[in-house]
Amino acid sequence: MTLTIENLRIAAAGAVLVRDVSLTLEPYRTVTILGETGSGKTLVAEAAMGTVAPELAVSGRIADGGEISDAADQGARRGAWGRRIAMLPQEPWVSLDPTMRSLAQVAEGHRFVRGLGPGPARRQARADLASLNLAAGDDRYPHQLSGGMAQRVAFASARAGGAPITLADEPTKGLDATMRDAVVALLRKAVEEGGSLLCITHDIAVAKALGGEIIVMLKGEIVERGDADTVLVAPSHPYTRRLVAAAPENWPTATATATASVPGDVVLEGTELAVSRNGRRLFSDLDLAVRAGEWIGVTGPSGCGKTTLGNVLLGLMPPASGRVRRRAGVASTRFQKLYQDPVATFSRHVSLRTALAETTARHRVSFDDVMTLLERLRVPVALLDRRPDQVSGGELQRVSLARVLVAKPIFLFADEPTSRLDPITQQETMDVMREVTRERGCGTLLVTHDRTMAERITERRITLGSDLA
Amino acid sequence: MRRAASLAENGTWWAPWIGGSLVGIVVLAALLGPLVVGADPNRQDLAHVLMGPSREALLGTDQLGRSVLARLVYAARLSLSLGAMAVAAAAIPGIALGLAAAFAGGWTDRLVSSLADAILAVPGLILVLLIAALAPGAFWPLFLGLSLIQWVEWFRMTRAASRSALASPAVEAARLLGFGPWHILYRHVLPDLLPLFGILGAFGLGSAVLSLSALGFIGFGLRPPTPEWGSMMVEMLPYWNEAPLALLMPPLCLLTLILGLQILARR
Repeated sequence: MTLTIENLRIAAAGAVLVRDVSLTLEPYRTVTILGETGSGKTLVAEAAMGTVAPELAVSGRIADGGEISDAADQGARRGAWGRRIAMLPQEPWVSLDPTMRSLAQVAEGHRFVRGLGPGPARRQARADLASLNLAAGDDRYPHQLSGGMAQRVAFASARAGGAPITLADEPTKGLDATMRDAVVALLRKAVEEGGSLLCITHDIAVAKALGGEIIVMLKGEIVERGDADTVLVAPSHPYTRRLVAAAPENWPTATATATASVPGDVVLEGTELAVSRNGRRLFSDLDLAVRAGEWIGVTGPSGCGKTTLGNVLLGLMPPASGRVRRRAGVASTRFQKLYQDPVATFSRHVSLRTALAETTARHRVSFDDVMTLLERLRVPVALLDRRPDQVSGGELQRVSLARVLVAKPIFLFADEPTSRLDPITQQETMDVMREVTRERGCGTLLVTHDRTMAERITERRITLGSDLA
Repeated sequence: MRRAASLAENGTWWAPWIGGSLVGIVVLAALLGPLVVGADPNRQDLAHVLMGPSREALLGTDQLGRSVLARLVYAARLSLSLGAMAVAAAAIPGIALGLAAAFAGGWTDRLVSSLADAILAVPGLILVLLIAALAPGAFWPLFLGLSLIQWVEWFRMTRAASRSALASPAVEAARLLGFGPWHILYRHVLPDLLPLFGILGAFGLGSAVLSLSALGFIGFGLRPPTPEWGSMMVEMLPYWNEAPLALLMPPLCLLTLILGLQILARR
C-alpha cells in the first residue's frame, strides 16, 4: 500500500505553516522528515492522520491504497486509523491503558479493528508479543513494564489492526542510546516485513539508522530531499549542513577545543558514594573529584541514578553511604544546578527581568554585569520583559545560565540541560556554556543520556548503571 | 474558535457577571437597606399583623406586625457579617497553620494534620450544635463553631498547594541561589495560593450563611427577636396561606446569595 501526500498546505490565520509538501511512501520504504521545532514536520504527520487542529486550514490531497481524499476533509481519514495507518505513540507509558494487561491491550486491536474472534485475537496478540521478546510480559500492567517493554507493547498494539503504514512522530524523544537503538530496530523490522514508515525526528542519528528517503523541512517548506546516504553525507542546502554538523557525533572533540585544560584545584569531592532508590542500590563505591574549570560527563541508561548523583553532590539529598566534601570556606550558593526544563525553574508570575534582578540583589551584583553576560550569551534584551513560558527553550536555558552565574559558581551540576532542544540550538547552547564555565573556572558535571555528546565535550566521563540490566 | 476555547477553559464568560450580580444585590441590600427601608425590624404593630404589601411595609408584615422587608435586610446584614467574620477567623489560622505545616514538615505537619483530621471526623453542623449548646442563642458560640469547622478546609488546601509549590524545581533553584523562606513564600508559594483563597472564601461564606440559617431553622440559632432568615422561615410556617410572601422571601434571599457565591467560586 502506498501513501501519497500531494501539495499539502496548512495555514493558520495570517501564516502559512506548511507549504507545498508532497511525498510518496511505498512498501519496504522509509521516509524521514527532519527539522527543528516549528518547522511543520509534525503537521505533515497530523495531516496524514487527519488530526490537524480544526482552526488550521488544510488543503491538498492524501491517498493511501485506492482511497483518495481531499486533505481538507479530515473526517475521511478516520477510516484509515489502525487499518491502513498506525500511529506510534510518543510516550508509550502515557498512551497505554493503565488498567489493562499487555496481552489484552494488544488483542483489542486484533479483535475490534481487524475483526478477529476473541480466541484468535488473543492467540495473535500472544504471537505478536513473543516476536518482540515480550512473551514473559503479557500478563503485566503498564506500571510493571520497563520503559523499553512499554515501548514494544505500544508498538504491538498500534500495529495490531494490521496497518501496513506506520507513522512515528519523534519516536526516540528523551530516550537513552540503548532504548533509542531498540526503537529504531523495531521500526526497521516493520519496514523489512513489507510495511512502510513515515518517521518524524530531529535526531540525525535516528535518520541515519533508518535510511531511506530524507526530507528536510525548514519553516514549513521542504529545503532538501534525497537518499539518506546522500543528504546526510553531502548535504547541499546550508540549513541541512548546519543540521548535520550539529549532530553530536560531528562535533569537534573536547581535547581539540580545550584551550586551557590545565585542571584547577579540587572544588568538590565525593568518596565511596552509594545511592539507593526504593531499596535498590543504584551504584556504590564511587569516588569523584571535580576540579575547577573541568567538565565531567555522567552517562548511563534512564533510572541509573545520574541525576541522583548530581543532587547528592549538591547536598540536595543525602547519599546512602559515603561522604561529599566541598572546598572549605566557600559559600554554599557557589554550588549550582541547571535543569532539564528551565521553564519550571522560574516563577511563572513574574518577568525574567524581575527574576534576574532579584538574584543580582541577593548576591549584591550589579544588574549591568548580567546584561553584559546576556549579551555574551546572545540573549536578546527584549526577552527579559517576557515571562518564562513566552521564551524559547534555548533562550531560556541561556537566561538560566546567566542567573546561575550571578552566584559565581565553582561547581555546576548541569542535568540534561539541552535534551529538549533541537540539535542546532543544543550545540549553540552547549558551546556557550562550555566557554563561559571554563573561563570562570567553574567545574561542571554534565548529566546526559547522549554518550556521543558527552564524549565530544567533556574531558572525563563516568558511566553509571553498567551493572543494571 | 477563540470563544469556544475560552468557554471550555473558564466556563461561560457571563457566569462571573451573574454570580457577581446575585451576590451584589444581597450585599447592597445589607449595606443600604436599613437607610432606605427606615422601619425598625423589631417594632411590633399588633393591629397590622400578616398584612399584604403596603406603602409602609413593601413586603407586608409578619405575625407580630413587623415589616418583612426591614427584617430581611437586617437579616442579610447579620448573615453576611457573621459569615465574613467566620471566614476570616477560619482563613487566618488555616492559612498560617497550612503554611507552617508545609514549610516545616515533620512533626509540626503531623501534629497539625492530625488535629485537622480529628475535627473533620465530627460532622460540621453537629460540632456547631455542640458549641452552641454552651450558650444557647448567643452570637459568639455560633461564630466560634463556624470558624472551627472551616479552618480545616483552609488548612488542608493551603498545605496541599504549598507542598506542591515547595517541591517544584523553581523553589529548589531559588534555595540553591541562596533565597530564604520569606522570598520563597512571597515569590513562589503565595502567587499559586491566591486564586485558591478566592474560591475558598466564596464557598466558605456560602456555607457559613447556610449553616447559620439551618441552625436558626431548627431553633438553635440566634435568640429571637433577632432578624435571621432561618428563624424567620420557621416563624412564618404556620401562616403559610395567610402571608405566603413573608414565608417565601427568606429562602429566596438565601438562594440568591448562595447561588451567586457558588457561581463565583466555580469560576
